[in-house]
Amino acid sequence: MSQSLAPECNEIKERYDTCFLKWYSEKYLRGIGTTDNNECAGLFKEYSSCLKGALKERGIDKLLDEAREDNKENDATLMGKKKCCSPQRVSMHPFSILTLGIFVAGYITARWDLVTRLYELAIFAWNYGVVTRAAKGFAVLSLVFLCIFLPVERLATHNDGLMRVFWPADLPRSDLRGVVVGWRNSALDVFVLAILEEVEFRNVEFALKIGTLLRNAPHPVSRIYELCGQSSIHVLGLSNTPDSVDIDPSWIRVTIGPRRRVPVITCPRASSIQIILFERPNPVRMQYISLNPIELALDDKHDSFRQEVPDGSEDDDEKEERKKKEQKKHLVEKLKQHSISKRVPSEKEKALAKIVNQINWAWELEKLLQKNVSRIGTRPKRSLSVSERVVESATTARDMMVVWMWHLFTVYVWPIIKRVFVMGLMAHRIAAEVLLRILEWRAQPRYAALKDISATAQQVEIRLQQFCYWPMQYVTLRLRKNDWESVTTSHPDYIRFYNSLWLVANDVIIGIALGSYIIDNSRWVAEEVNQLLSQYTVDALQSSISWLMGWPAGLKLNNELGAFLGDLFLWVIDYWSSCIEALRPILPRIIWFIGFSSFAGASMPIALFSDLLSILTVHIYSFYLASARIYHWQLNILISLFHLFRGKKHNVLRNRIDSCDYDLDQLLVGTILFTLLFFLLPTVVVFYLNFAIARMVIISLKAVFDTMLSCLNHFPLFAIMLRIKDPGRLPGGIRFELRDTQDYRFSVNDSPTQIPSTSVIFLKSVPLKFKAMFHQYFQMGQRIRKHYLSPRVLLCLLTGKFVPPLNRKNLYSLQYSMLPARRAGVMEMWNAVNSLPEPKKRVPPVHVPVLANGKTLPSNYSAGRSRGYG
Amino acid sequence: MLTTAPHLYIRRPSPTTAEFTVTTCPPLTIPLRLLLLIIHLARLVLVSASVLALYSRFLFDPSAAVTTATAGTVGQQQQYNATSNNNNNVNDGQGGEAFALLLAGDVTAFAAALLTAARLSRAGALLDELAAPLPDWALAAACAGTVYAVACRFRLHTTESVLVLRGLGIQTCSSGSAAAAAGAGGGSRWGWARQTRFIPTEKIRDVLINEGFRGFEVRYYLCVVVEGEEDVVVLFPGTLPRRKIVEAVWRGIRACLVEGDGGDGGEKG
Repeated sequence: MSQSLAPECNEIKERYDTCFLKWYSEKYLRGIGTTDNNECAGLFKEYSSCLKGALKERGIDKLLDEAREDNKENDATLMGKKKCCSPQRVSMHPFSILTLGIFVAGYITARWDLVTRLYELAIFAWNYGVVTRAAKGFAVLSLVFLCIFLPVERLATHNDGLMRVFWPADLPRSDLRGVVVGWRNSALDVFVLAILEEVEFRNVEFALKIGTLLRNAPHPVSRIYELCGQSSIHVLGLSNTPDSVDIDPSWIRVTIGPRRRVPVITCPRASSIQIILFERPNPVRMQYISLNPIELALDDKHDSFRQEVPDGSEDDDEKEERKKKEQKKHLVEKLKQHSISKRVPSEKEKALAKIVNQINWAWELEKLLQKNVSRIGTRPKRSLSVSERVVESATTARDMMVVWMWHLFTVYVWPIIKRVFVMGLMAHRIAAEVLLRILEWRAQPRYAALKDISATAQQVEIRLQQFCYWPMQYVTLRLRKNDWESVTTSHPDYIRFYNSLWLVANDVIIGIALGSYIIDNSRWVAEEVNQLLSQYTVDALQSSISWLMGWPAGLKLNNELGAFLGDLFLWVIDYWSSCIEALRPILPRIIWFIGFSSFAGASMPIALFSDLLSILTVHIYSFYLASARIYHWQLNILISLFHLFRGKKHNVLRNRIDSCDYDLDQLLVGTILFTLLFFLLPTVVVFYLNFAIARMVIISLKAVFDTMLSCLNHFPLFAIMLRIKDPGRLPGGIRFELRDTQDYRFSVNDSPTQIPSTSVIFLKSVPLKFKAMFHQYFQMGQRIRKHYLSPRVLLCLLTGKFVPPLNRKNLYSLQYSMLPARRAGVMEMWNAVNSLPEPKKRVPPVHVPVLANGKTLPSNYSAGRSRGYG
Repeated sequence: MLTTAPHLYIRRPSPTTAEFTVTTCPPLTIPLRLLLLIIHLARLVLVSASVLALYSRFLFDPSAAVTTATAGTVGQQQQYNATSNNNNNVNDGQGGEAFALLLAGDVTAFAAALLTAARLSRAGALLDELAAPLPDWALAAACAGTVYAVACRFRLHTTESVLVLRGLGIQTCSSGSAAAAAGAGGGSRWGWARQTRFIPTEKIRDVLINEGFRGFEVRYYLCVVVEGEEDVVVLFPGTLPRRKIVEAVWRGIRACLVEGDGGDGGEKG
């Protein structure tokens, strides 16, 4: 037996220990010990009083009190559970029993006729043989139950004898005897957490029961049980123990050693075994695994964007798509009806989600268990030597100084800094709110807001929204630190937050470079811009129009109409060029302003240039509109006159072509007009085509600008870097790999026992695919392609209908996918920022000697608890 | 000779776990291994030749080492011989320098030195002559196309497998690369070469054999009906093996996933 802390109490402790173990193993574990729990109480009192004296003598009792204070909550949960389950507390108060008795007696005397009637009924039943019949029925039913239900239930519970063992591949392997502990998900489905070496399994069981092994947990222990879906950690079996040791039939027997990669596992109950090996993700490095790919974008509001599309142009495509989808769904539904029986998933199959969580927790829990192994069993007795005491007091003095300084800082300086910062933040937030309100203001619900028209406004809005969202994100990330590291729910948030921060920083850096260049060379840039403007939007147009007014490419157009149209457009262009001339002197100013704005990020000048482009090409837009209108009308008139020419007409009421008897004069006039218009058509067509092409070029230029903007605002830079640096942080699912079992069997040959058929499977995490990272870009490309490169657009171009520009909201859903649908209000942010927990007080470190039971911990267990970011 | 009709391998270490692999790779005999080796060497040569052609066209600096000399007169010819001899010496020196650079850890400089040395060799000159008539853009496009086709798109064998684990689910895995097919576990090192997908048992509604039209033929294929998904998951989509194999796999999957009713019934669907 172990030695007591004080040598003078050794003898009493010995007596108490034997008494307790006897009671524990012989009575408590077999459930007999409930009647007399106090058989060792006298011994314990004696021992504790002896120990208390000894502790006081040495001054350890204060330390002990502090430690108890720390562990109060852990103990409270465990003790609370115990209290509720103990049978002694269930007995009723004697007074309430008396009250109940009086009530029943009173009721019976008051309603005596009820009792007589019951009596009569009983006699009647006896006379007519009801009782015997009921007894027969009961006998038959119990026979049926015995013959059918019990075997079926047995079959269901012990269906295949397949045992599933999840085993961490990176668990330290040694030849020492050990106790395997972990979760027991169902009878034959176990999850190994750790091997506790050189300890007695009874002690481990007891320690698990009273929670010693989870002592000193940095965060609440109940969280572990809640997330891992089990109520307690169990002893699962023994490792490297000789077969002579008797164990429970449901326990596993493991043989493992430094040279054996895969453990050899046997279990008396299992006929075949699946060993699933996995590498534990390291939660300190924020690695984890998940069944579904990690979501890089916030996914809560794609639907809202879809709903807001008001125009009917998109509807045709979407209708078709939906129809296709419905058809497919119908087919699959039909296919599903082929399966005759629906299998009820077994306990093992349903446990997969739980097991994923357990894998994520495995690393941290093992660390905790190994840290507490020393609390089991024997403890060394050794006081500090003189030199050690000197060192200890010296370090303590230094630490005291540091703690004192830190205390001063946290009490006097820190709150002021924090308050000032929060005030500044709130002021900015309010200003941002005002700006956002302006940008989002609509005169009427269906009208376009400022942000829908201008790229600059949109860009400003995105930045402001991000600014409003950051504090909220930061608060959630800070709260993460108050929880276990293995809780993986906020990891996508973390990636999103740093991605957006990094993108903005990148944007600003590029912007500063760009801006300083533009400011330095503003005169030259302005000249270039002016040159481009006059060359492409004025001179090129003028020359092409005058080319069309002659006979372009040998086409014989109508001279008069061509001259008329050309003169008209030339006149407008002349007027426009004079406007641009007026703009020329202030162009350097504008360029300087754009350059200056790029200190807010390179996306700003791009957005400004995009807006500038649409303002300075307004004339092309209007030409396009006008010529498209003319062409469209002419085409319509030609079609209806062609019907007249054939002796038919369009019936508007029925929306079909009907035959019609025209008079001769009608036919004559119609035919003449048809001929006229037909010969004039080519002239109109060339003008229309000219402006349509110019318009398409401008649209594609703006698309290029938009793509650049979306790259600057949304590129998954942080995610790509993480994917390259540490793929474990971006899980994209899991993958199994079947290993060859030949070498496994070879290694087993030396052991005498026959092992069941075993398959060795490796579980690995699949990193997120690059394709999935750029999923949203693909989606946007798809949308743009569908909108501009579809046959519908070609038809619109051919018939002169207006080609609507892509809805800004649709295009920008990509950029907004990083932001929540509804931004948090000012008050919400104030509450969130103030709800941040205070920084932890630094407690002077107390050196308690590590109580190792005979062996030192492996060196890799002393890894610091520093959090690795980035 | 290099590929065969798809055939089936089964690995079943325990009755509850099985892997069905359908591959077009024939059994690896020694002549086949040699042939594969030659093919891979040819790929390597092609890729390096196109990289070299690109380098000598766009990045090579002739002033660094005198190379081109259109010999007209005898005197010039002699001079050319002299310079080419010098070049050979220079090549040796450059080789030594290049390895020194590699040891120093400067990879880009090492690559540049290596490419320069290759360009100055006879094969490099020949390659340059061959590429000479092509304009810049055509050369760039041709080289990029070659590298993409040979290095990324080259697939000799298709291997697809289905791993069935009772209590866990079905995992499909397909790899098209010859590298993955050549070695049994070789493909696992290159994660990009294979696509895996895991379907938990909880979500599997049924596994059945269906028939579909493909061109002018009817193919039987295995598919998994997954709960909550709008598409069925087709097993072996790349090889689409014959009905015999499909039936064998279907029986195996049934026996593995749900014990007892593996033997009855032929195909469904």
